[in-house]
Amino acid sequence: MSAVSVAPSTPLPTATKVPFGRLVMVEWRKMTDTRAGRVMLMITGGLIALVAGVILLVTALSDMAALDAYNWMSALSFPVSLLVPVLAIMIVTQEWGQRTHMVTFTLEPSRLKVVFAKLVAVFVLGIVTMAVAVGVGALGTVIGGAIAGTDPNWNVTGEALAWTLLTQILYLLMGFGFAMLLLNTPAALVIYYGYTLILEASVFSALYFVFDWAQSLFPWISMQVAMMPFIAGDQMEAAGVAVEDGALGYARLFTSIALWVGLPLVLGTMRVLKSELK
Amino acid sequence: MIKVEGLTRVYGPFTAVDDVSFTAEAGKVTGFLGPNGAGKSTTMRIMVGLTNPTKGRATIDGSLYADLPNPGRHVGVLLDASAQHDGRTGREVLTLAAMTMGLPKSRVDEMLELVSLTPSEAKRRIKNYSLGMKQRLGIAHALIGDPKVLILDEPANGLDPAGIRWMRGLLKEYADRGGTVLLSSHLLHEVEQIADELILIGNGRIVAEGTKDTILAGQATGGQALVTSLDNEALTVALKAKGYSVEPVGTGMRVSAAPAEVGKAALEANVVLTDLRDGGAGLEDIFLQLTAETQRESTTQIHAEGVSA
Repeated sequence: MSAVSVAPSTPLPTATKVPFGRLVMVEWRKMTDTRAGRVMLMITGGLIALVAGVILLVTALSDMAALDAYNWMSALSFPVSLLVPVLAIMIVTQEWGQRTHMVTFTLEPSRLKVVFAKLVAVFVLGIVTMAVAVGVGALGTVIGGAIAGTDPNWNVTGEALAWTLLTQILYLLMGFGFAMLLLNTPAALVIYYGYTLILEASVFSALYFVFDWAQSLFPWISMQVAMMPFIAGDQMEAAGVAVEDGALGYARLFTSIALWVGLPLVLGTMRVLKSELK
Repeated sequence: MIKVEGLTRVYGPFTAVDDVSFTAEAGKVTGFLGPNGAGKSTTMRIMVGLTNPTKGRATIDGSLYADLPNPGRHVGVLLDASAQHDGRTGREVLTLAAMTMGLPKSRVDEMLELVSLTPSEAKRRIKNYSLGMKQRLGIAHALIGDPKVLILDEPANGLDPAGIRWMRGLLKEYADRGGTVLLSSHLLHEVEQIADELILIGNGRIVAEGTKDTILAGQATGGQALVTSLDNEALTVALKAKGYSVEPVGTGMRVSAAPAEVGKAALEANVVLTDLRDGGAGLEDIFLQLTAETQRESTTQIHAEGVSA
């Protein structure tokens, strides 16, 4: 057996409090140092490339007009909303799933600091992904225009871009919140996809224009419906629906955000801070 | 030094840790011994702040674990060697720890060498590690910050005999340098030879503590012998006539007398002995006896094993 000594060969630096930035770096590294993590990043990048590739291919093969910038943004929002929140879920739930939380929280007993470090790390990753998607969208607008022989149509206002990014950030925070609340990957994924793909994409939008009660209730409980007056006020007016983009509109927006993002974040943080780690 | 004072942890109607107090001193290896479910792991989790106590507290060199700046540099913790991400390599696990603690990368190689994980093993993912390799990695992880205190839950689990001997030497050296070591086990023989002090826990309570010798002395019973003869019946009559209790076990008997007394009785009764041994309680018997309530086996079975051994 080894005759190596326990004592360090060279003196180690003196122990000082673990700085927050270092915790963020560690959490960043943890997202990319497993095959599962790298595959997730590759799928995210691949899906963005795939969506862009298919759109350009269809533009080239058919005599369809090139997509304008707004359409590009809508198309690329989909892969981003599908995958970035999954990264936010996994950075939390994987610790519990693999039971590495016991190591993480013994090396840094301040659980709140670890939670923030994780949030910052995944937030930065989310922003980088969104920036890539925006870049791909801009490039696609130019290339699509060149293929179709038309001038690129830059019809995305700064405001529209901001609302789209805000939506993606809210989804990221929502995934993070539910992950802390449930501490279980499949359960958090089901809730997240259940909300975005079933409630938002079909139930809320399908019923909204049909029932009067839906028009008074949904803006309070659906982030997407609550945002409609700010993003698509013109279309709503055209459909004969009252557009509330004043104080009431903001009250609805904040209520729906508090319900789906604020509440899970607060309750989830409490759970992580209080729960027994074993 | 680890100091545990009146530690209690209650889960609904179940008390996992019941008013436990003890001290693990610097420069010594303290063995924390008890059957499965006795409360060892819960006590250790409370020490490092993963579980909140219902009552009482545990301090490390005078401060609560949560108040230690950079705790990995002060306390080396191994609670469960399997609690590592399957997809990370051994080297990566140590690299993350070194990063968190602010240690140079060279420390990772030093630790890998210390626990005899080869460079190719260190590059493998944990899912391909044996339990013994995970334990070695866990010990490396606990030692990487050159801590003053070690808290190890069942560190010998999964190690082969050579590995257990290696760990014994390692912890001995560590304690000799002035470190505090607390290690738990449910196997007496694992800790008996390495621990300077023993703390026996059963049903969440401390049932005995001290050195091996003081525990044995505290439980002295006045002699027990295990005897087998060519005429057990006659010997039984002779021993009972002297007022000793006799209880048949296996092919022989357990007698409440010192071996010399049994020999005398056999000589007087003209019975030929084929086996006569001290049946006095060893540390193992005391351990089983003291923790009997939490044992899953009955005491008769334990005695039978004692004879056939």
